[in-house]
Amino acid sequence: MEITVDGGTVSVPDGSSVLTATRTAGADVPTLCHDDRLSPAGVCRVCLVRADGELVAACVTPARAGMVVETSDEEIADHVRLVVGLTIETLPARALETPSELTALCARLGLGAESFAGASDGSRLDDSHPYLSLDPDLCIACGRCVRMCDEVQGTFALSLVGRGADTEVCAGDGGRWVDSACVSCGGCADTCPTGAISTPPTAVATRTTRTTCGYCGVGCTLDVHTRDDRVVAVTPDRGGEVNRGHACVKGRFAHGYVHSADRLTTPLLRRHGELEPASWDEALAHVAGRLGRIRSEHGPDAIAAISSARATNEENYLLQKLMRAVVGTNNVDNCSRVCHSPSAVGLSAAFGLAGGTNPMEDLDRADMILLAGSNATEAHPVVGARIRQAVLRGARLVVVDPRRTELAALADVHLRGLPGSNVALFNGLARLLLENGWADLDFLAARASGLDDLQEVLTQLPLERVEEISGVSRSQMRAAAQLYGEAAHPAIVYGLGVTEHAHGTDGVRTLANLAILRGAVGTEDGGGVIPLRGQNNVQGASDMGALPDLLPGYQKVVDTADRRRFSEAWGVPVPPRPGLRIPEMFEAMRSGRVHALYVMGEDIAQTDPDSTHVRAAIEECELVISQEIFLSETARLADVVLPAASFLEKDGTFVNFDRRFLRVRPTVTPPGSARTDFDILTSVAAALGGDLGVRTPAEALEECARLAPLFAGVSHERLDREGGLHWPCRSARDPGEGRLYLDGFATPSGRTQLAARPWLPPGEEPSTEFPVVLITGRRLVHYNAGTMTRRTPNADLRPAEQIDLHPADADRLGVGEGDPVEVTSRRGSLVVGVHRTEATSPGQAFLAFHFPEVPTNRLTSEAADAQTACPEYKVTAVRLRPVGPAIPAGGAG
Amino acid sequence: MRVCAGTGCLAASGGAHVVSVERALGVRTGACSPDGAVSLQEVRCVGYCYAGPAALDDDLPCAGPNLADQLTGKSPRVDPEVPVCSPGPRLLLREPPGSRAWQIWQEAVSRPGAAAAIRDEVGRARLRGRGGAGFPAASKWSAVASHPGPRFVVANGDEGDPGSFADRLLMERDPALVLEGLALAGLACGAARGFVYVRSEYPRARAALVRAVASARAAGHLGADVHSSGVDFDVAVVSGHGSYVAGEETSLLRSIVGLRGTVHPRPPYPVQKGLSGRPTAVNNVETLAAVPGIVAAGGAAYARLGDPQETGTMLVSLGQRFARPGAYEVELGTPLRTIVEDLGGGVAGGSRLRALQVGGPLGGFLGPDQLDVPLLESALAGLGVSLGHGGLVAIDDTVSRDRLLAHVWRFGAAESCGACTPCREGTRRGARDPGGASEDRPLLSLMEQASLCAFGRRLPAAIRSLTALRWN
Repeated sequence: MEITVDGGTVSVPDGSSVLTATRTAGADVPTLCHDDRLSPAGVCRVCLVRADGELVAACVTPARAGMVVETSDEEIADHVRLVVGLTIETLPARALETPSELTALCARLGLGAESFAGASDGSRLDDSHPYLSLDPDLCIACGRCVRMCDEVQGTFALSLVGRGADTEVCAGDGGRWVDSACVSCGGCADTCPTGAISTPPTAVATRTTRTTCGYCGVGCTLDVHTRDDRVVAVTPDRGGEVNRGHACVKGRFAHGYVHSADRLTTPLLRRHGELEPASWDEALAHVAGRLGRIRSEHGPDAIAAISSARATNEENYLLQKLMRAVVGTNNVDNCSRVCHSPSAVGLSAAFGLAGGTNPMEDLDRADMILLAGSNATEAHPVVGARIRQAVLRGARLVVVDPRRTELAALADVHLRGLPGSNVALFNGLARLLLENGWADLDFLAARASGLDDLQEVLTQLPLERVEEISGVSRSQMRAAAQLYGEAAHPAIVYGLGVTEHAHGTDGVRTLANLAILRGAVGTEDGGGVIPLRGQNNVQGASDMGALPDLLPGYQKVVDTADRRRFSEAWGVPVPPRPGLRIPEMFEAMRSGRVHALYVMGEDIAQTDPDSTHVRAAIEECELVISQEIFLSETARLADVVLPAASFLEKDGTFVNFDRRFLRVRPTVTPPGSARTDFDILTSVAAALGGDLGVRTPAEALEECARLAPLFAGVSHERLDREGGLHWPCRSARDPGEGRLYLDGFATPSGRTQLAARPWLPPGEEPSTEFPVVLITGRRLVHYNAGTMTRRTPNADLRPAEQIDLHPADADRLGVGEGDPVEVTSRRGSLVVGVHRTEATSPGQAFLAFHFPEVPTNRLTSEAADAQTACPEYKVTAVRLRPVGPAIPAGGAG
Repeated sequence: MRVCAGTGCLAASGGAHVVSVERALGVRTGACSPDGAVSLQEVRCVGYCYAGPAALDDDLPCAGPNLADQLTGKSPRVDPEVPVCSPGPRLLLREPPGSRAWQIWQEAVSRPGAAAAIRDEVGRARLRGRGGAGFPAASKWSAVASHPGPRFVVANGDEGDPGSFADRLLMERDPALVLEGLALAGLACGAARGFVYVRSEYPRARAALVRAVASARAAGHLGADVHSSGVDFDVAVVSGHGSYVAGEETSLLRSIVGLRGTVHPRPPYPVQKGLSGRPTAVNNVETLAAVPGIVAAGGAAYARLGDPQETGTMLVSLGQRFARPGAYEVELGTPLRTIVEDLGGGVAGGSRLRALQVGGPLGGFLGPDQLDVPLLESALAGLGVSLGHGGLVAIDDTVSRDRLLAHVWRFGAAESCGACTPCREGTRRGARDPGGASEDRPLLSLMEQASLCAFGRRLPAAIRSLTALRWN
């Protein structure tokens, strides 16, 4: 529709506000309570304009075709000056001390310190939270923080209280901020126009660099503000395509580790049993000498490498190339082995490509979400918040999780299946879809294979049996199946609760069955199947071929043509036999077949299961090289430690959970003589007498794009110009495919493949001796081994690990909140304080492995998915025993 | 204890009662006695304007010149009934109260096409909202019915205009009439759920409604499949929390679901996105009370009453300073002087009428020389005054104009919801400096043109109507 603004005509979409029209016209209408990320409130009344002769607040006035808008005349100017004057006359003059939207507006209107007449001694300041402080005397009751918390984060921790001129914001019930429900996403401080809610004061940044978050796999675009080569603050990019101006407590705040005093700044070599500083020349010569000797004595397959889902695509590409082209072995794997390898294998088998089928944007139109095995609000907070908003908007939610997570509590149906029962539950749901006419038979006939075999398996699995296996009632299953079966745009989102099982690949396949039965994948309507990747670059590490059986772009080592493409490009033959997977590497280290292990950016001694076994493997191995940013548990045991760079110091790309290439840009230089993994790998190759053939990350991705048709159209230059790109992206003009398989599945037959998989018991089951099932997972404020988050004030928010126990179980043990218990599995034991919570079912317990003081993986087992060797982190049989005196709050177990 | 600080009680005591209650109880307003036994709060108003000053001791109303003694137990409590009088047709004050209750509903609910028929009759009656905005009821219901369900209907019993007690009277005296009107509105809108929002200062009204809902349910008038008609309709009674602005429909709907009663911009209007984001009709209690009569006798008969443009009757509340205070059901268009002098008997005790507050502090003030005007929104608007909910408070010499100005600004500051800047900060300034703010033309202009809702937009006109009065 066309609107006249200040005499000129502009065209705006239907449903636009007058404010949008004035902005389209280029008129600079001031605002205070407005934020594009939030619903308009129309309360500050600063955006006054005249619309068809009437004075209105532009932000909440709908534009109408033919409307005549004037944005400035003397009366409007007087009103705006007065309304801002009224706003600030009760604020203290210190409101001017920190630049804000308000101070900018005052400067524009010529309102100086004399207009601020409020008396305030600052005594009401609430600085109880490590990252967010509230100075209520600076609050102008615009409600932006409240809307941010409600409409973007979905936590509802803030509210306006009081009436009339006493109106102001408070956290929780008005007590200390830190005691409120706040999840520290920082959105309130980001939107606050006055500084009433603020993050800790910092030096004024002199440079801002846009990059991609290095924590979980969501792929939030962040602006990193730096000064004097130090990060002073991180804020979410308001135009970020995945996060849209949102972030979480990790991405936004937990960056202090970058400048931690205990960063590794020099190579370390083990001499006489101790790790001692060495020069790069010494270290590289040592590495090259010993690797060379091992290769000549035992052959190239005596060397193995573990690549990193934290490192960039380019670095992953380089490490696999180093192993294949310089060392001469396929013994390279990455840590997605222990999290999402069942996704790669399962989704490939079902649909053709090793990634999620639909983009994040499809969650916005989903009217039903089936969330399985994911505590998204803690592990992937920005996606969790988006799911929450979908539910608040009216989307139905089914959560499959043994724990009553935040989203489970919000769900229409919570299927609280026993750990290890996924396959039975998913098969039960499949049966219900077919029995009740909720399956899309036309879709199945036209586009799917394997229905007969699936039905055969389902016949063997009456719902009574599913009830028995999972502990979930038939009526609950039916309610869940009906919601998924009858929705117009159903989406499946899942996490490690599906993959990290002894039959994780079967879990992925039987979950994917539901989308196939419903015709909700590869179609315009369906929301597909979306795996939430645990680390920033889990998708990319595998995409880049850091896998023993796959080359970059999922080309097969055993395929002669695929192999030849790389052999020709690299000028050396790629070995034809697939290499070892991570757990096989540990076995081989203990049995003497692998003599050297090169670990890039993974703390295997803390994070891999059955860590006693892993530590033994490291100790028994002749040469272990750990490339790290901190002296991790693994680095402590290594023979050589090479100081690397964090993601904030790197140039390259990550691929997020929805297959989107996103740029990573260096914001500061690495400390001391630390180097990027890219530089280190190049130097190691050179020291071994090889040449990786690429000088920069951009060149590395270029080479990868030439060799991997799936990524052919991706380049740094294009990402810089256009923003993120979904793969497949087959040419420079291909916009990338967010929603896959609309024209056919990428399987050899072009049809999607239903899986007929019977339920099999988990690798480890509770017994009389070990009666409790331990589940592992992530806590909101920490991440993985905790090496990054524990070196930031996030540690103040959760200083130690506690084991979650149902109060009934805790009572049976006679332990109160914080009391220590000894937790013992068939492999080891540890002592940890108890947290009593009904979020955990009776007979189950929950632990994270963020703290080395609570070495959770001493307990976990070697049981693993038969197809991918992904460990069964989610099921460990343990027994609990109360020990000694209470652990003081905040202390470690 | 909640002591009334409304205009009616101000006029009744000259404003002295709040201080005397504070002294008698030894507690300041807004504070609590040291032993925690007594807390004292100022509220605006408790609906006893005909017998003020008044207060609520917990939920027990008491009123009279010896209010402080009543509250301290030195004198017996007095809870005076509202004197009622219908000089003309009785549509709202049916005798006896509750007679023929639910008959219209019982007939309508099973009749095919009843929803459209109700909308037609109410449309023909030209019934307009009695809460102050004057929106045609039938248009509102048609709008609600045009949006997809589920839909809701809400009776607005948040009568907050200090000076009016008509809704309290209706809810206490004849709650079935209000509920039946709400049920008919529900049928007209295609809503299966109704709510009555009653202000917390009306505990007796709430109790009466709760009893009336229970007996209507027991008699099968409410619930699922009412009278085997296939129609579901049930009502919940919801309490307010002491905010004047919660009578504004967007804040009322927020308050019902447990949020703060603050104003939100319209559009979207509640007819499209109201309670829980669903289409909702919010009608004043008095508007709804007229509906059963209209459906029974036909809209045309109703439209013959009152003025052709503003039809029907209205319950006018006359405050304590009148010789004959109470609630009067009069036809719209009745001359104000007739109401003030003939029905109300003029000011009691031979005092001189200085000003007449019409429609609460936001309605505005008329001088004794301005009474030759019909009781019509359109006619009063010409004098810069708004009819509001028909509360008339006579002000005599016991209250000075400055006192009254300060009172109106204080009312504004105390009851502004705080959402928008012009109203929130403008009333703050006015309460601090009533004289200055009353002359501050830019401030009044900003409030009038830029406030979010009628509260801030109306206040300047009320102030101007008062400053314009010749006081001598």
